[in-house]
Formats: sequence, structure tokens, C-alpha cells
Amino acid sequence: MAGSYPWGGRLIAIHIAEQASVEMEELQAARMIEGVGIEGDRYATGRGTYSYKPHADRQCTLIEMETLEALQRDHGLTLEPNESRRNLTTEGVPLNHLVGRHFRVGEVVLFGGRLNVPCKYLDELLGRPLFNPLLNRSGLNCRIIQGGVIRPGDRIEPV
Amino acid sequence: MKLLMPVEVVAARHATPRVLHLTLRPTKRAAFPAFRGGAHTILVLPDGKRRLYSLASDPAAPETWDIAVLHEPEGNGGSAWLHAEARPGTRLLASFPQQNFALAEGAARHVLIAGGIGITPFLAMLPELERGGADFVLHYCARSRAEAAFLPELEARLGPRLVPWTDGRRLDLAALLAGARPGTHAYACGPARMLEGFSAATTHWPDGTAHLEHFSGLRREEAHQGEAFEVEIASTGEVLPVPADRSLLEVLRDAGHPVDVGCEYGACGSCLVEVAGGEPIHRDVCLSPEARRTRMASCVSRGKGRVRLEM
Repeated sequence: MAGSYPWGGRLIAIHIAEQASVEMEELQAARMIEGVGIEGDRYATGRGTYSYKPHADRQCTLIEMETLEALQRDHGLTLEPNESRRNLTTEGVPLNHLVGRHFRVGEVVLFGGRLNVPCKYLDELLGRPLFNPLLNRSGLNCRIIQGGVIRPGDRIEPV
Repeated sequence: MKLLMPVEVVAARHATPRVLHLTLRPTKRAAFPAFRGGAHTILVLPDGKRRLYSLASDPAAPETWDIAVLHEPEGNGGSAWLHAEARPGTRLLASFPQQNFALAEGAARHVLIAGGIGITPFLAMLPELERGGADFVLHYCARSRAEAAFLPELEARLGPRLVPWTDGRRLDLAALLAGARPGTHAYACGPARMLEGFSAATTHWPDGTAHLEHFSGLRREEAHQGEAFEVEIASTGEVLPVPADRSLLEVLRDAGHPVDVGCEYGACGSCLVEVAGGEPIHRDVCLSPEARRTRMASCVSRGKGRVRLEM
């Protein structure tokens, strides 16, 4: 379990989208607003695909770089960090084990609310059959417990 | 790829009194993604309306895109809004290029047929034809010279390879397309009646040599109506009735399913849903027969009895 063995990873990339379906943009620094979302991101401003059914766990979403690499390796499918629709791309972080746990990204504290569920919507948006290959590894939906500014390269570790 | 990009109008001028010529640039990337002549973009207006416009500029100049917008007072407001409001600085969203229409590789000769505002996709094909030294002719039909957008420039550029049909001179599609010479490909873009004429005139052409681009699909009042049917959501077993006076798209969205609203006439593919069973009645103009085996356009298409959706 993530809480019972030491792990540590890092933040590789930060992406936000201003609105549902809009291409994501990469940030070199992002302001994480406690209880709201990432400054400028669609789920902080109520303009996301799922904003019509708000949920605290959508404040920030994460995906493992290892998953994106596995899609290429195992399925020949390219999914770049800026296409994943997830905000934070991580390396060396066991995201599936962080449901119900607090963890730190740089100076920010997140709470793993629930596993992200892939959506057919992504297949339509990108024109690639990603739904099945992403099942059970589509990332983690989180609440922002303690806000702050994060940057690529920040350490990610248990609280 | 249906991703949207934030764009800004950098130039707006009238090509004719009814045709607004807009130049767009992406605000968050250096250049637009690559496309081939014939592609269109889905433009998202500030009120969320989505409209399809052919890309009319040279694909080799990806820093900007040109589109041309015909003012359609009878339409549902997309073109009227752009004519009234679009000016340098106006912010919009534009989709990645949608490529359903393009020049055939290796064709010996290309016969291009444009009707009115249907000239736009051909404007983006001309650079490819000219650079490749292709054998081609462009027939351009319009009510009058004054209403034929870009006609003087095209005449100067193409000389005898442009054949204008205006002011009472009518193109006889059946006669033009009667003989299908080997290696010749024909392309049409224009009003529905012209496309019907083109389809009828090319029934004897070999498969894959007659290409058309739809500017409009079902008329708005027809698009939302039809026989009542029902859909079952495969993942949950939920059954939703689609009454005769509503579209599947409206019913799905009301039930909380995140399906995009697009052109709402079956042309843009924004609202496609995956079919897991049952018998859809397809009324779109965007899906290939192959694609129709597994998907349907929820804005216009309906079904017999119960259709099962993979959602």
C-alpha cells in the first residue's frame, strides 16, 4: 500500500484547458486554488464537460506518464500529456493507490478522491480508440486541500 | 480530431455584399495544424453555436486560416452574428481541420464544380493543383458576377482553367459529366440542389471518383423530428424514449450524457454516438457506410424500435 512503503515521484507537466474540448496548454507554473481548482482551468471556471454535475474530486486530475508510455508500448497508441485531458502528468507515483489519501505536490496538498474513469468522449475528441486501453489506469481525480504554486519538477510524496 | 483552438479574427472584409471574408489566427499556438485543401473547421460562436466553414487559404501558410461566410438571413443566426459582430480582435474557437473532402492522389485530371459559397474549399485546393502542375478545370456557378465571391482574382489567376457560369448561363451537369474518362476525378461543393444534380450525373462514374462536400444537411425543422423510438444506454441499462418531436441529441443531453452539440443538421460529426445494437435510421451527411455500422449522428438520426448505445 502507498501508505506503508516509501514512494516518491515528480511532476512532469502541468496542463489546463480554458473550456471543454479546447486544446490543453502547458504551464510552467500553476496556481492551485484550495477547494476550487487550477487557475484558468475549465473545472475552476465551470466550463468543463462535466461542470453541469460539479464534484469536488474534479478540482485537479492526474495521470501517470508510465500509462502514456504503456499505451504506446502495448497498443501502439500515442497519447501525449497535452492530449490526456488530465492536469498533472506524474512520474513514479502510484496514483491508483492514492484514493482516500493525502499527498503533496511541491507545496500543495491534494486528496485522492476517486479513480478517473475514461470517457468515450476522448475517443471522439482525438479520433483514437483509447477507451478500453485506459480502463483502470486513467488517472486520479483530486481535491485541492492546501493551495499554492506548483511547477514541473516538483516532488510528489506522501503527507 | 475534434479539439478546439482559441482563435482571433485578424482581418474582416467583404468579398461581396453577402460574403464576409475572415482571416483567423490561433492565439495559443504559433501555427494551425496541417490540412489539405477541402478540409473544414467547426467554428464555435460565443453563444455556443457551431458552424462549419471550409478552410479557404493555402495549406502551406499555416499561420492564419481564411474562411468565407455567406449571410443567410433564413438561417439560425450563425452567419448573421458573424456578419454583425466579427471584426479584428473578435475571439472565437475553431476546431482542428476536419478532412472529409480532398483531391484524389494520382488522378490524371480534376474537374472542380463550385456553386456560390461552395467555391471556398476549392480555394484551398488550388495551390496544391498549381504546385503539382495538375490538369484541372474549375467550373464556378453563381447567380451573378457581382455575387460570385473571389471571381476577379480567380479569373486573373486561372485564365481558361476557370469557367464561370453566371447571369443566366447555366452549367449542364449531366452533359459535362456524361463521359467519365479514366483517371478523371470530379468534385462538387454547393447548394443541395446542385449536389443532387452532381450525384445523379455521376452515378455511372467508377467508385471513388466523384467527390462531394455538403454544406448543409437536413433542414432544421426536419432535423429534430421523425418517428418515435427509444435508446438503451449499454453501461447502465437506462432506457430513454425519443419522442417524435425531439432529437436523440436533446434527449441524451437532458438525461445528463455529455454529447457535444454541433451543426445540428448532421454534417459536422460533433454529436456522434456509438451504436452497440439495434437498427439506426441514418440521416446524416458526414458518416461513411463503414462508419455507419458502428456510429450515428444523434442530432438527426433516429432508429427503429430500440437502439442500444455504447455509453
